[in-house]
Amino acid sequence: MRAVIAEDLTLLREGLARILKAHDIEVAAAVGDPVALAKALEEEHPDIAIVDVRMPPTFTNEGLAAAISERARRPGMPILVLSQYVEPLYARELMLSDAAGVGYLLKDRVADVGAFIDAVRRVAGGGTVLDPDVVTSMLSHRDRNHAMARLTAREREVLAYMAEGRSNTAIAGKLVVTPKAVDKHINSIFMKLDLPLDADDNRRVLAVLRYLQAD
Amino acid sequence: MDVTDPGRGARWDATWRMILRQEANVSAALSLLMLVIWVLSGGSFWPRWVWFALAVPLALQVGVRRGLGAPRGQRLLAVHSAVTVVLALMMLAIWVLAGARGFFWPAWPALGLGTALAVHGWIRHGFATDRERALIDRVEVLTRTRSGALDVQAAELRRIERDLHDGAQARMVSVAMNLGLAEELLDKDPQSLAELLAESRSSMLTALDELRTVMRGIQPPVLADRGLEGAVRALALHLAVPVTVASEVPGQAPPPVESAVYFAVSECLANVVKHSGARSAGVELGYRDGVLSVVVSDDGDGGASVTAGTGLRGVARRLEVFDGTIELTSPAGGPTVVRMEVPCELSSPRT
Repeated sequence: MRAVIAEDLTLLREGLARILKAHDIEVAAAVGDPVALAKALEEEHPDIAIVDVRMPPTFTNEGLAAAISERARRPGMPILVLSQYVEPLYARELMLSDAAGVGYLLKDRVADVGAFIDAVRRVAGGGTVLDPDVVTSMLSHRDRNHAMARLTAREREVLAYMAEGRSNTAIAGKLVVTPKAVDKHINSIFMKLDLPLDADDNRRVLAVLRYLQAD
Repeated sequence: MDVTDPGRGARWDATWRMILRQEANVSAALSLLMLVIWVLSGGSFWPRWVWFALAVPLALQVGVRRGLGAPRGQRLLAVHSAVTVVLALMMLAIWVLAGARGFFWPAWPALGLGTALAVHGWIRHGFATDRERALIDRVEVLTRTRSGALDVQAAELRRIERDLHDGAQARMVSVAMNLGLAEELLDKDPQSLAELLAESRSSMLTALDELRTVMRGIQPPVLADRGLEGAVRALALHLAVPVTVASEVPGQAPPPVESAVYFAVSECLANVVKHSGARSAGVELGYRDGVLSVVVSDDGDGGASVTAGTGLRGVARRLEVFDGTIELTSPAGGPTVVRMEVPCELSSPRT
């Protein structure tokens, strides 16, 4: 697997590269600004781009803007956005058009190296990974949304784990229930959120999207 | 311009400029056309009257627009002045275009217009009593210094956030990354593990250092502990240039004043170290007739100016909030003396 890193702080760029290399992920390019990122994506065709939210020239959220515009240019290009703080609004903007192959994590999560590498692979494989902090903050607003209000507490919990990109087995492990029970919850969530049966592959992503768009 | 919505003002400005440009283009084209017709048909040089007719509305528009750009409260007078000037010029132009012969009749209407303008100006400014004028001046000063203070504060907050984000916070993230990787190397590669741990420790210490720097920039702990004099003495000890500190302040200035003066001295001394080439410097703190005075001097090369950098201007804006002043004398060749004064009450001395 090949990755491109865009992070303006050298310290963190090197730390990230070191961790990826230690897990047999080739770092095709490590750059420090959105322009260099666009060039690297053009030339390297990586399997994933790992992008910092705050980059030059304005040091606000050009990483996010770059991620959104790169995905518009290359639909399906997996991008994992990292930040020193997470903002549900940004998560929603990032996943508004298509949540497949998108991740949004606090940089703190990189410290749990195993889980981080797992997240990188899941996003590269077209999965969706959302930071637990974003999920928690969105859950606290769930009552404003009618569809969300129809879910039981357990179902919301399952949905939150889905938003973090967990598999059924992993969710079962977290909740200490059987995978079959998780299956039942997920089907019930799909029903309550009126997600069509035929879009089976995408339903998890759609559920997460519905969840993100709830307000 | 609308103060509450600068965006709308700017948009309207752009639209207006575009309209004016179009008008100027059309007028120029028409003028040219008339010139061509005259060349072809001959006769007396009549196109000058067409030019005149085209120029008057353009001049009026520009004048009125300029007048409207004046600060609120002076707009009416400004528009009046602009219209008066345009009308006077118009009459002068008519006289000149008619051949500049005979009796200079524009003098009379110009006198009338001028009198009207003078009366308007007198009503606007002359009617205010001394007290009103003083209040108007005070409000202007307060408005300016308040927005200056808010700018300074906002810039400070941005700087602090930036420093934390790129400094201590980034270092801690990197330490966490290293430790995560170190965990995995525990059995596999003890040598790399040791290196990662050493790197993490030094990164952590740097992060602590950066946190202290940020905190000193927010509120130096020694200022709270020892007051202005102590904090300035502590500051002097940190510097590469020897600084003598003398203080005769029989009490304690209010904390916001102390803080502003401390940062002002800090900025001045930083300039001394960075730019002056001085061998020694001095800080004198004094208090007389309800005014706290601070003099920072050095024996360096001089040639400093308030407008050169943002530093001293920032100091001036900080002091203005307290009606403080800053005065800089820095002839080429030195010495440089910065004198700052802030009116304030002192409370009883620290025990």
